[in-house]
Amino acid sequence: MKLFKKKKMVATNEFNQTVEGTSLTKEAWKRLRKNKMAVVGMVVVIIYALLAIFADALPLYPYDEAITQHQNLRPSLTRSAGELMLEQRLKNIYFQAWRNGELAVSEEDDARIREWVQESRTNAVWDLVYKYGEEARANGTFEFSRSAQRQIDRMLEDIENDIQITVNHLYAYDADGERYEVANADYQTLLNLYSTLLNVEPSLVETTLRNEVRTSVSNQVRANDETLEGEDLEAAVELEMDALGEEGYQERATQNLVGYIMQLARREAERDVSAQNSEGTITFPYKGSFELSSGMTAEIEASKMHERRYYLGTDYLGRDLLSRIIYGGQISIAIGLVGTIASFVIGILVGSLAGYLGGRVDYYLMRFVDIMYGLPYMLLVIICMAIFGRNILNLFLALALVSWLTIARMVRGQIMSLKNQEYVEAARSMGASTFHIILRHMIPNSLSVIIVYSTIRIPAFIMQESFLSFLGLGVQAPYASWGSLIGDAVSSMTLYPYKLIAPSVVMVVFLFAMNFFGDGLRDAFDPQSKNQL
Amino acid sequence: MSGNSTILEVKDLYQHFPIDNGGIFKKQIGAIRAVDGISFTVKKGETLGIVGESGCGKSTTVRSIAQLYKPTSGEVLFHGVDLCKADKKTLLKERRNIQMIFQDPYASLDPRMTVRTIISEPLNIYNRRGLLDHKWTKDEIEDRVEELMEKVGLNKLYKNRYPHEFSGGQRQRIGIARALALNPEIILADEPVSALDVSIQAQILNLIIDLQKEMGITFIFIAHDLGVIQHISSRVIVMYLGKIMEISTSEELYKNPKHPYTEALLSAAPVPDPKVERNRKRIVLEGDVPSPDKERHGCYFYDRCPHKMEFCSCNIPPMFKAGENHEVACWLYDKEGHN
Repeated sequence: MKLFKKKKMVATNEFNQTVEGTSLTKEAWKRLRKNKMAVVGMVVVIIYALLAIFADALPLYPYDEAITQHQNLRPSLTRSAGELMLEQRLKNIYFQAWRNGELAVSEEDDARIREWVQESRTNAVWDLVYKYGEEARANGTFEFSRSAQRQIDRMLEDIENDIQITVNHLYAYDADGERYEVANADYQTLLNLYSTLLNVEPSLVETTLRNEVRTSVSNQVRANDETLEGEDLEAAVELEMDALGEEGYQERATQNLVGYIMQLARREAERDVSAQNSEGTITFPYKGSFELSSGMTAEIEASKMHERRYYLGTDYLGRDLLSRIIYGGQISIAIGLVGTIASFVIGILVGSLAGYLGGRVDYYLMRFVDIMYGLPYMLLVIICMAIFGRNILNLFLALALVSWLTIARMVRGQIMSLKNQEYVEAARSMGASTFHIILRHMIPNSLSVIIVYSTIRIPAFIMQESFLSFLGLGVQAPYASWGSLIGDAVSSMTLYPYKLIAPSVVMVVFLFAMNFFGDGLRDAFDPQSKNQL
Repeated sequence: MSGNSTILEVKDLYQHFPIDNGGIFKKQIGAIRAVDGISFTVKKGETLGIVGESGCGKSTTVRSIAQLYKPTSGEVLFHGVDLCKADKKTLLKERRNIQMIFQDPYASLDPRMTVRTIISEPLNIYNRRGLLDHKWTKDEIEDRVEELMEKVGLNKLYKNRYPHEFSGGQRQRIGIARALALNPEIILADEPVSALDVSIQAQILNLIIDLQKEMGITFIFIAHDLGVIQHISSRVIVMYLGKIMEISTSEELYKNPKHPYTEALLSAAPVPDPKVERNRKRIVLEGDVPSPDKERHGCYFYDRCPHKMEFCSCNIPPMFKAGENHEVACWLYDKEGHN
């Protein structure tokens, strides 16, 4: 509001210049800049926020392109996924060899390994056996069994030849030779294209598609009402199909067709690229348009599957932990922000009403808050999640519903102390309405406390969400949050400690930064510290 | 100070603050009788001073007049309109002519607002409600703010500054400018100088006197500094325990105090001449001010009065005339001789 009210004064001479006031906020900012820890915290928070906002633009390996062979790879800055896979395979082979007595180990170490096996210290066993194995192989005292050799050879071949392909756009040509994009084409065109590709009659394809759509409708009907059976079911499905109509059918069928054609094109592209790869006529990573042998043009991205690098390792499904942490951060930070904002809106509303109106309103509102306080809030959240279903929106709602209590009390206290200030009396003597006083005097004056408290609340929300995710009530797959990552990692803590450490460190750094930033803000907004300027 | 028409009349004003037992149903177990039945009139253009020690109900009186507290009973007639019973709309309309200046220049200005916003706040409120003569534009309000700042002796270039950048005296000038914004007929000044340095006090007092001369505003001026009251007021009310003890013109009261309490009060003020001060006999009252939570049936000053009589303990003295423009609530001046 203030911004718009300013009337520009033109300086005609040095005696006629507008004197700009330094606002409390500006002074707070000045003080904040002096506090090194707070500035560091702020920078870290900003970096996290930027990473979370621009996660999609980062060169991360997305969820749907996880490679199943890359399970549980350990973090490495220098070595590619292929090398790590091979090392893991070798470790297994050496371990088997040691077990079968084919790998010679000093007596002392033999005892140690046995002990470790007893204690399930798998990593230690593997590392030691690997060391012995490599030495023995270098000395020529150990040779792989035939099956082991075959495994290794196949893996080396895979590493050389496996190619990851993403089809970004697919173009086909119609009868006149005009190019069109498959994803945007209509039903009839796609039907013809698909039947040509499969080399069958279009009518056959159409029958299959109709059956598919019918099946999916039938499944839907059955999901809605499980009691339906036999003729009743048939009738209901028929009704649904009628409601869907020809247009609805075509819409669904088109979707299916696009999916099939894309899949076909991907397989074809894979074949073609592999062929070119073995001829050595293509270099990786490849990005650009690619002529498929069926006559379509695809814009593809192709890279060697096992050349990926996982700086923080992968999880049990071969998903890149770094990308999981960054995408998880998106959700964790969003929960922190949305939860805080939601609880603040409720808290400020209730708190300012109770504080300003006082009397009976205050009494009942605060008793309600007391009762809510008395209930174990985590239990409330868990019950909410159980009743309303486990999705992110409900998680936000459940957390916001139980966390406005403290804020309401805090705001009420603030407003009670502010409402007897003389400037509020002055405003009342000027005939200002309650709404005006709360909005223009009370809230701006308690805003510093609110801002500070909110920065402290954000980490608390992230912790709560982590706790819920840890219990399995929070974010559901395929989404991840820091808490769910940690929760997932705990079960395999001894075997893959990096899976636990990486998200924990990331989270702890963020929480620290947020807390330092919050502390800094509190000091900066405290008028008592004015003298430190 | 011309004109003798009554602008404000306070009739039998009671302001009791309930004491509850703290339970759910807020059962009232007593009341603080901050103002316990006072009546006076204010004439147009005069400055009415109210003195009294802390807790005697001075501030409550003006706040009740301004309807910041809803009075327990009684009437506040402003131009014949009873503000206590007026509906919201009338009250707002009338209140435009009753503005306040507050005691603490640090607490009475919102630290989050610029001087411009503070001074224009009453204008904006009334403008938004459509209670001004016409819809003011932003530029008009801006010009008015500048005019007001110059009127109270502030550099208009400071209008974008925040209150904490000003000294106490400057802040009080901002408060005065805010009170003047709506061109009120009467300003209730609640100890406007008691939080200021003595040198600044003089400046502010002179500013108020100048403004009054220039604009003909009526003032109700509260202070506990007798010198200040003598300097500024044309008439003075002396209050004790929520009750008026004496009303008189300023000169008359200082020359010729009638009520025992006024005598004691005046004798407590030091005289600037050391010789006189050394030989002066002070009237020292015994005991403390009693708690205002009891209902009284006799003179409110009975407990501490040096001239108390048996009769005073059970009869509340009405205001007795003790000269022209001089009234005293004391049985000593009862000419009909009830006692």
